[in-house]
Amino acid sequence: MIANTLVKSKLVCVALNDKHQLTALQDTFKKDPYKKPPTQPVLYYKPRNTWNVDGAEIEWAKDFDGQDVASMVVGASLGIVIGQETCRVSVENALDFVGGYTLVADYSLPEKNYYRPDIKGKCLDGSAPVGPNIISRSTLENLDDLQVVIKVNGERKSLFALADMERSVAELISIISHIMTLQPGEVIAVGFAGDRVPVGKGDTVEASIEGVGTLTNTLGGA
Amino acid sequence: MRHARIIFDGRELDVDIDSADRITTTSGELLNVTLDSDQITWLPPVKEPGTIFALGLNYADHATELAFEPPKEPLVFIKHANTLTGHKQISYRPDSIEFQHYECELVAVIGKRGKNIKREDALDYIAGYTVCNDFAIRDYLENYYRPNLRVKSRDSLLPMGPWIIDTADVPDVMNLRLTTAVNGKITQDGSTKDMIFDVPFLVEYLSKIMTLNPGDMIATGTPHGVVDMQPGDIVVCSVENICSLETRIVSEQTYYGDKY
Repeated sequence: MIANTLVKSKLVCVALNDKHQLTALQDTFKKDPYKKPPTQPVLYYKPRNTWNVDGAEIEWAKDFDGQDVASMVVGASLGIVIGQETCRVSVENALDFVGGYTLVADYSLPEKNYYRPDIKGKCLDGSAPVGPNIISRSTLENLDDLQVVIKVNGERKSLFALADMERSVAELISIISHIMTLQPGEVIAVGFAGDRVPVGKGDTVEASIEGVGTLTNTLGGA
Repeated sequence: MRHARIIFDGRELDVDIDSADRITTTSGELLNVTLDSDQITWLPPVKEPGTIFALGLNYADHATELAFEPPKEPLVFIKHANTLTGHKQISYRPDSIEFQHYECELVAVIGKRGKNIKREDALDYIAGYTVCNDFAIRDYLENYYRPNLRVKSRDSLLPMGPWIIDTADVPDVMNLRLTTAVNGKITQDGSTKDMIFDVPFLVEYLSKIMTLNPGDMIATGTPHGVVDMQPGDIVVCSVENICSLETRIVSEQTYYGDKY
């Protein structure tokens, strides 16, 4: 396991939190197997074997026959670092429990559907770099003004405005804290652009938010 | 040998329990207390809990009961340590729900780091076995990452223990009776022989995806026979030759107290 001292015990990610993505999928989500659109935030974990650091090489995934997979994708999110025990907090008070902010990148296999937990696609070793460091809460004034940018080999491939999130940071902290008590150092990746960015072997990926930092990783396998 | 974590006499202790039920601390002190004593507070038995992998629909009969085709590959979801609690502790029933049920499960505890482990070598990577009760709130199921975190990641809803028994002491792990009793009445009665994906298969499967680490756990799913739970109920999940895990259900308000 690669030590990442920035994450303590838990990295919760929020899927399907891009308004435009939800709009685009609304017909799909009325059909089987979904039957109706989600009524709650759609959450998944990146477990501890996935945690990685700024600058690390991301292993190119293998399939079950031990061959290199055909394709991988990346998403990036603002990471909320919990500052104190957070249990059943209101939306109004939620931001008081934030210790700081960072970036989370999620390298995974392309996701075909959202019906079952995507263990095969999302739990790859070293696939969740977090960093480059944690900036203090007071540094960022209005989260809605932030944009998450992904560049691959220097070229911009994705731009996601946090104002386009279906649920805000405060709403997510409140809802998640009513499911589980969050501890200091646990991280929530609050929202990814609906379209994940395809990456290739040897690519250099920079995920950045102005004022938070740039998280740079390269893909292995080249 | 069995291994547990307890609070006794104001001390948090890692203890070994021998075949005569004698409890000894890891520093060799014999404790003058019996296993059923109220003086023992049982903690979750894995000292540094890692990733908890839980299986859905992993018994042929349970898959039928829930009106699903038996899965062609394992349905795995992840849980974390916030869900854990120990033997003879409390779990809560959320307010305003219709159906919360227990799930009595055999748990394999990973003892050695590994990736791409072959199933014939799997037992070398398992430190031992314990029992968990992987409660589910069925009201909260939605068809996204099903079963989602709202169903399966709640505080206190994964009691585990009371102890871990060494792998070598359980030669017939895929042929053990598994029962649950609610308020003294047996409501679930199955056998680990009906598991669809057995423990060696699951170790191979998961370790093809990712590195398994000591302290990771695999909760292997539950057979048919799940019933609703209410505050005040006492539920005991047992796996033959492993252990029996007792839990008392309380209301959400009782569980969270001042934080409610």
